Amino acid sequence: MANKKKNRNVAIIGIGQTEYSSHKEHQNQAEMVNEAVRRALDDARITMDDVDCVMHGNMELFEMVYQPDLWHEIGTGAYGKEEIRITTGGTTGASLVCAADNLVASGMYDVILAVGLEKLQEGHTTGGITNMADPLWFRHLQTGALTGTTAQEMIEEFGEDRAKRAAMKYRIMMDKHACLNPRAHRRFGLEYDQMDDLMNTSPKLVGELRLIHMCSQSDGACVMVFASEEKAKKLCKHHPPVWIRDHITVHREETLPNLFGFKKPEMTQRYAARKLFERNGIKDPVEYFDVFEMYDPSAWWGLDWLREFLLLKGDEHIKMLEEGEFDLDGKLPVNPSGGVTATNPIGATAMLRPAEAALQIRGDAGEHQLERNVRHALASGFGGTFWTVLIMLEKDLNW
Amino acid sequence: MAVHKEDTSHCYVQFGRMALPNQYFAGRVGSRFIIALRDEHKILGVRCDKCKKVFVPPREYCERCMSRLDDNWVELSNEGVITNFTIVRYNDKHLPRKAPYVLALIKLDGADTPFAHIVEGIDPSKVTVGMRVKAVFAKETTNTILDIDHFEPL
Amino acid sequence: MTEYYGSKLEDIFNSMEDRFRPEGAEGVDAIFCYDIAGEDGGKWQVSVKDKELRVEKVEGNLKGCSVTIITDPETFIGVTLGKIDAGEAFSSGKIKVDGDIGLLTNILPKLFTKYTPPAKDVTSKDIIDTVVERFRADKAEGIDIVIGYDITGEGGGKWSVIVKDGYCSVKEGLDPNCTVTMQMDAKVFVGLNLGLIDGTAAFTSGKVKIEGDMGAAALSAGMFERFKVGVIEGAEELISLKCLPSIDQRFATGPVMGKWFDGLKEKKFYATKCPVCGRTQIPPREICALCRVRCTDFVELGPKGTVTLIDDVYYASPDPLTGEVRETPYAGVYIVLDGASEEEAFAHEIKKEDIDRIKPGMRVRPVWAEKRVGSYKDLLYFEIDE
Repeated sequence: MANKKKNRNVAIIGIGQTEYSSHKEHQNQAEMVNEAVRRALDDARITMDDVDCVMHGNMELFEMVYQPDLWHEIGTGAYGKEEIRITTGGTTGASLVCAADNLVASGMYDVILAVGLEKLQEGHTTGGITNMADPLWFRHLQTGALTGTTAQEMIEEFGEDRAKRAAMKYRIMMDKHACLNPRAHRRFGLEYDQMDDLMNTSPKLVGELRLIHMCSQSDGACVMVFASEEKAKKLCKHHPPVWIRDHITVHREETLPNLFGFKKPEMTQRYAARKLFERNGIKDPVEYFDVFEMYDPSAWWGLDWLREFLLLKGDEHIKMLEEGEFDLDGKLPVNPSGGVTATNPIGATAMLRPAEAALQIRGDAGEHQLERNVRHALASGFGGTFWTVLIMLEKDLNW
Repeated sequence: MAVHKEDTSHCYVQFGRMALPNQYFAGRVGSRFIIALRDEHKILGVRCDKCKKVFVPPREYCERCMSRLDDNWVELSNEGVITNFTIVRYNDKHLPRKAPYVLALIKLDGADTPFAHIVEGIDPSKVTVGMRVKAVFAKETTNTILDIDHFEPL
Repeated sequence: MTEYYGSKLEDIFNSMEDRFRPEGAEGVDAIFCYDIAGEDGGKWQVSVKDKELRVEKVEGNLKGCSVTIITDPETFIGVTLGKIDAGEAFSSGKIKVDGDIGLLTNILPKLFTKYTPPAKDVTSKDIIDTVVERFRADKAEGIDIVIGYDITGEGGGKWSVIVKDGYCSVKEGLDPNCTVTMQMDAKVFVGLNLGLIDGTAAFTSGKVKIEGDMGAAALSAGMFERFKVGVIEGAEELISLKCLPSIDQRFATGPVMGKWFDGLKEKKFYATKCPVCGRTQIPPREICALCRVRCTDFVELGPKGTVTLIDDVYYASPDPLTGEVRETPYAGVYIVLDGASEEEAFAHEIKKEDIDRIKPGMRVRPVWAEKRVGSYKDLLYFEIDE
């Protein structure tokens, strides 16, 4: 049973990205945004005249620029247009996609250009994130987005050696993918024979979460153009449109400690996947999807969440990883782009997931393009206290 | 009806502070603008030939037509006209001057867009729209727009 | 010596003398050692004392090093030029440091001005690679042409530049549908693009051979911005502004969270209990988000509890309330207090002396501040309950 609540179908018709790096001193924020905007317009073969509404998303505490949509107007193309700002922490980029999908589907707008960006070099990311915590109680204890709890739980469940190896294999696999993506920020050129060395020598951040496991802090912007079915068919001549089939956003309570008692509640990742797949009639996500672009803030989290997102049990996810099933030629390739451990301009990060998934469907991903015919793609966002956004993309309008 | 009075006996106020370091990069275009102000006391703008407008401060791309502008620099006059102004009458640690001071929109000769700056050297009550002013450059650089210290009447 | 990013190791070390800033060496007495592995590597010793610099290439062992940087030529040159992020090279293990790391992060940057690489020769490919970004759509309205470039000699190649509907793309090889094809030597091509050779002269002297539509060749000149020799990073001044905004805040607790601070003053932990599911929430919250009901009942938990998970923190994050960097390592623990529902842990720090011994399942007890005023500072940390 397919979910057909939408008023009309919505397509992704243009994608523009900057290159991602640790520093962009040569551009100010608006200029960086503009670079991605121009690339997205070029990709869609349209001009700003075709766009009805601009959406903007980043985290103001990361650059400490208040009202960034105002500052960036000079680069977003929003002059004389309607503009909406969305900022939902780590999920921002994915929330932009969901909101654009809703706004176009509803009939409010025919063409939307959405901008996700971050220039993390300009601020203090961890310092900014600590302000997410309750100032009355938990803020003085908060360590940003760094925690070793998942590593500890996985070591407990799968044994120290197997868990550490699996996390490191995941990390090296992501680096290998990133090395094929010229836009990716960190491309170390890691090899699997470095596993033992890195497991023990990479500096520790929190518990067994080491520097090498953790996501980067990147500068960059990603822009996507969305259009109604009618407009997409008219405008999209240069490449096929990619259809947004469905999306789901799941929040949970704002406190983290109640995830770490004696009994673990269902994670939002599994809840979101369960609901989304159920209402779209998908019984076996590993079988159904051809690619999964996942928001993986660290190697430990990425690996752990695969079990939740793909509705796997026990050590099925670890086995799949060990057997190379998440590789580019595996059963379900995960993050051909290199993922978040390679590239993390936070406001753009969760948008990069559906953007890269859409490029895979189009066959335009470049060097990291999968060889298979990518028809069904899954993309996730992560933010807040383990919030999840999950987006399904399709090549054909046939569900 | 009795007025309900909130019971505040168990309420506290906790004091906090948000102190986060950050760094802002002007980029190539912004740097050229600031460096020209600082080193040559020149105010630069860029012209969009399509929209027929000269923007100051300069920008890499035209926000209206997306044309590239950073190869179309123009040197503007250090003199201009006040198009609007306000008198700031309160003090705050974040403000650049002690109140009262005049914050004006000044359209430089040769520019199409006015930009905000401080007007000094005149009683605030005497400032008028249409008044001609000229830039007075700062003795010490801060690498910001305050390398123009203020504008004063001609 | 192999070149990376247009520079050799020797270029960097040999230029150190010119780049040395004696004013930055005030009070510095240190020997920086560089152990750069591989065939094209080498060892260098850079001594700074009494505001004087000595740079030596060392054949045998490095001696008397205050700090040693162990890496490979590509990484070293990349980091020096800013092409590779130093922090990332360090995190991936491509740079290892032995000795006083503070010398590298705090002293070294003050000793030298930035290294800039020697100017690089421009190749035909450099010019072709930038064609798309130099394309001016506004100058190409209504133009539909394919320009073939047949560049001969060293560094040559064949490319087709396609301009259509205001877009430009490049492909390798000569397209059979070229509107015009231009044949010339690579040196002439580069010279023309750098403005060193006059176009008309090159054409009349036969250095450039044009086949096909001559008008299209003339058009092509106006559609692209001039090729600029790559701006050397660090050579131009880029302005940046450092700020530390500091905003004072006041937060009102309200009566429910207020009850929590009442409790801290009395060395007690108060939680709310959900009237529907019975869940205890600590610190207390007015609503049970799972049952969507108001919780008005308070229960006392603990004060002792059982540890579920431990976070040993080595990364020094700033304290958002002060902007100051926290002292590391410290350990956060998740504790289910006695009487709490099993899914509801409470997070706090463990006593410094207990960090090495604390394990999941251990019993802990709170340690309170002597003077308690109803603030988060009233509860200092937890310690092992023995």
